[in-house]
Amino acid sequence: MSDTNSTITLEIRARAGELLASGEVKAFLGFAEGSIPMATRPFIARTPEQAEKLVWNSFCVINPAGFLPEVLKSVEPSRGPKDPPPEGPLPRVGVVATGCWSRNMVVQMKENQVSRDRLVILGIGSRGMVSNKKVQAMVGGRDITAIEEGEHSLTVHCDGEKTEIHRWDVIRDNCRTCTHPDPVIFDYQIGDSAGERHIEDRYVQVDKIEAMSAAQRWQWFQNEISKCIRCYACRNACPLCYCPTCFVDDSRPQWVGKSTDPVDTSIFHILRAYHCAGRCTDCGACESVCPMGIRLRILTKKLEKDVLEMYGSEAGLDLEAPLPLATYTMNDPQQFIIKG
Amino acid sequence: MKILKLEKSDLDKWLAEWMKSSPVYAPVQSGFGSFYDWARLEQGRMPELLPGVPKSSIKTFLFPQPETLEEFSADPADPSAFILKAPKTAEQLTIIAGVRPCDARSVSLNALPYAKDPYYSNRLRNTALVGFTCETQCSTCFCTRTGGLPTGTEGLDIAITRMDNTFLAEILTQKGELLAEAGRTGTDAGGDALSRLEQSRKNSGSPVSSADDPAPILREKDLMALYQAPFWQEIAEPCLNCGACTFLCPTCYCFDIQDEVIRDRGRRIRYWDSCMFPLFTLHASGHNPRGLKLQRVRNRFMHKLKYFPERFGPISCVGCGRCIRECPVNIDIREVYTDLLAI
Amino acid sequence: MNNEPSAMNETKWDPKIIAFLCTWCSYAGADLAGVSRFQYPPNIRIVKVPCSGRISANLILDALKSGADGVLVSGCHPGDCHYISGNYYARRRFALLKNFLEFVGIEPGRVNFSWVSASEGEQFAGLVSEVTETVRALGPATRLVKKID
Repeated sequence: MSDTNSTITLEIRARAGELLASGEVKAFLGFAEGSIPMATRPFIARTPEQAEKLVWNSFCVINPAGFLPEVLKSVEPSRGPKDPPPEGPLPRVGVVATGCWSRNMVVQMKENQVSRDRLVILGIGSRGMVSNKKVQAMVGGRDITAIEEGEHSLTVHCDGEKTEIHRWDVIRDNCRTCTHPDPVIFDYQIGDSAGERHIEDRYVQVDKIEAMSAAQRWQWFQNEISKCIRCYACRNACPLCYCPTCFVDDSRPQWVGKSTDPVDTSIFHILRAYHCAGRCTDCGACESVCPMGIRLRILTKKLEKDVLEMYGSEAGLDLEAPLPLATYTMNDPQQFIIKG
Repeated sequence: MKILKLEKSDLDKWLAEWMKSSPVYAPVQSGFGSFYDWARLEQGRMPELLPGVPKSSIKTFLFPQPETLEEFSADPADPSAFILKAPKTAEQLTIIAGVRPCDARSVSLNALPYAKDPYYSNRLRNTALVGFTCETQCSTCFCTRTGGLPTGTEGLDIAITRMDNTFLAEILTQKGELLAEAGRTGTDAGGDALSRLEQSRKNSGSPVSSADDPAPILREKDLMALYQAPFWQEIAEPCLNCGACTFLCPTCYCFDIQDEVIRDRGRRIRYWDSCMFPLFTLHASGHNPRGLKLQRVRNRFMHKLKYFPERFGPISCVGCGRCIRECPVNIDIREVYTDLLAI
Repeated sequence: MNNEPSAMNETKWDPKIIAFLCTWCSYAGADLAGVSRFQYPPNIRIVKVPCSGRISANLILDALKSGADGVLVSGCHPGDCHYISGNYYARRRFALLKNFLEFVGIEPGRVNFSWVSASEGEQFAGLVSEVTETVRALGPATRLVKKID
């Protein structure tokens, strides 16, 4: 493990341990070591001893914000559906947060999914997370038996050989173009601030697609989603997806058919991405968890770009401002409207 | 059983000959992240075998997503509207090459619950499996802990093993014999080939018996003790309840059926379902007997490791490791094995 | 995906366009066009909705999936919404949706948005003629049309 990551790991453990011991939080949501290389496991520590299992490395790709509503509920005293809420403040939950994750928490607060005063946030300036698919590609898809993380490099063990990879070469695309690596809300700072970043080619992946003809773009879209097995890992890993009944599960009307028919899969991906418009912080969880390697982020990134260009808004940066699709101005752009 | 000796060029010839009359599928590498998955071979495109298994399991072929069970007309003017008709199926052989022993074994395991299923049986009859035994075990492989072997041949029609620079092909079934004939090359490996094969397997250090098969032990365990075990909460906690594990698993065979009507045509399809989805058990009344994540996660493992062996004998897992490799939150079935066996 | 509709040949094909019209302005505009006997192509099938703010992406995609060659959505002009702000919210959503559908390769012109007031009967007739011609020029919809073979 690199120096920065081991320092952060120790700080998380110490802080989480203290918070749990003092009773300030009833549970702490972070990451534990995985059972295979390049894997971490979202982990909920409930005792100071369990806090010793928490780790921080370059493979924490799941967005913990997605688990928050469930974890918050799990620490509340149990009550029946008609029982009155308990008196006094409800127990709090601690959580780690990088820039994008903290922005998702802001979105959740605006949408009344979590409340600020029930969270104790350990803010971490993100150095970017590593894409296991990119590492896999670097070694030609061979079985990776171990990975050692240095400060700026990864040593990949494969077939008894060691391959040295530069960390930035295998960083996830969303982290590469991230402009806000520092958390926007936090109670304790862990490690150093990562600072604001200015990215010239922030929308390079989107621009490339936009430059194509409609037929080429359709081809690209169909080719990308043809691998989809409709496991919904993208949806379930997303902290924005919390509808009690998802549109894919509606049966009357049935918006989306159940099998991997290309039209059904297309509609699923269009609507899934569209539902994230103005709320997505490009945390990259959907793309990281996709078992089939679909580059889902390009879809949400396009919407992010349009929201920024048309409404000047970026998700989760401001706790006070309304979400871009929950507000309007009199003179929003409307060049697309046909004049009768 | 006949054993043939093949050079690399003979193998290429076999595939080229088969492709003339049948669709042939095999694992190839392509695209983002060295995506390794099944593809239909064309003349000139040969399989690229990597250690371990391709991304999707072999069930994609025998239990397709979706499978059309019936067709009907939905045109009110048609006198036979809404009368179900079986779709036309061509009785054509599909050849799947480069099958690993774990995937091959899953085909026979799924045939147990599907023994009376006409669709599965039909596809099984029209599919030939040409396997490659494993020389190495990947970090996520654990077939020897499920009753399988890296050199196992169960479920295969032909099993090919590399010996130095040549290949030995064990012709295991009648279908295999037809394929070997159609390949029009290869020489008899001689009477001692089988013992040489076994010797080489011993020498290579790969396991020769599946000593760790947990099925007999799990069958004997008290069901309620396993069901009420304390560790389920911890296992289920990080789960996202996505279907990646079940959809990539070769031995997950649950499905749902639905009628689709688009304009004047309709079809009854069977498509993959997953016990990870809340909808899987949702009743029409709104009641859901497995409404909690913990219940769903527990069911997935209990089905594979307790209910299935009680009913059919072996456990419903072949140790391919796909669920471990692709689980977004690293739920590792090997740890569940250990936990269950410790009870 | 080259799934040309099998039952339609080029000479007989005439576009089918689903028009979602808000009940207060655009539907009344369509009514006025009829009462005033303004001619417009008979290719649209009108679905009356309470407000353009009711139109979700689901409805538009469902129309395409079911075989519509084009979609037209129309509501009150900004400032005229009978629910005060429904069309303002809708405008943001439509702008994003239109761009996004084009981003994934749906032809520009398949999905159209407009504002028509209750007094604009003539404009409504003109709009329908324009949209019909646009869709006719694009040919039968193939992308996002679900087929059962």
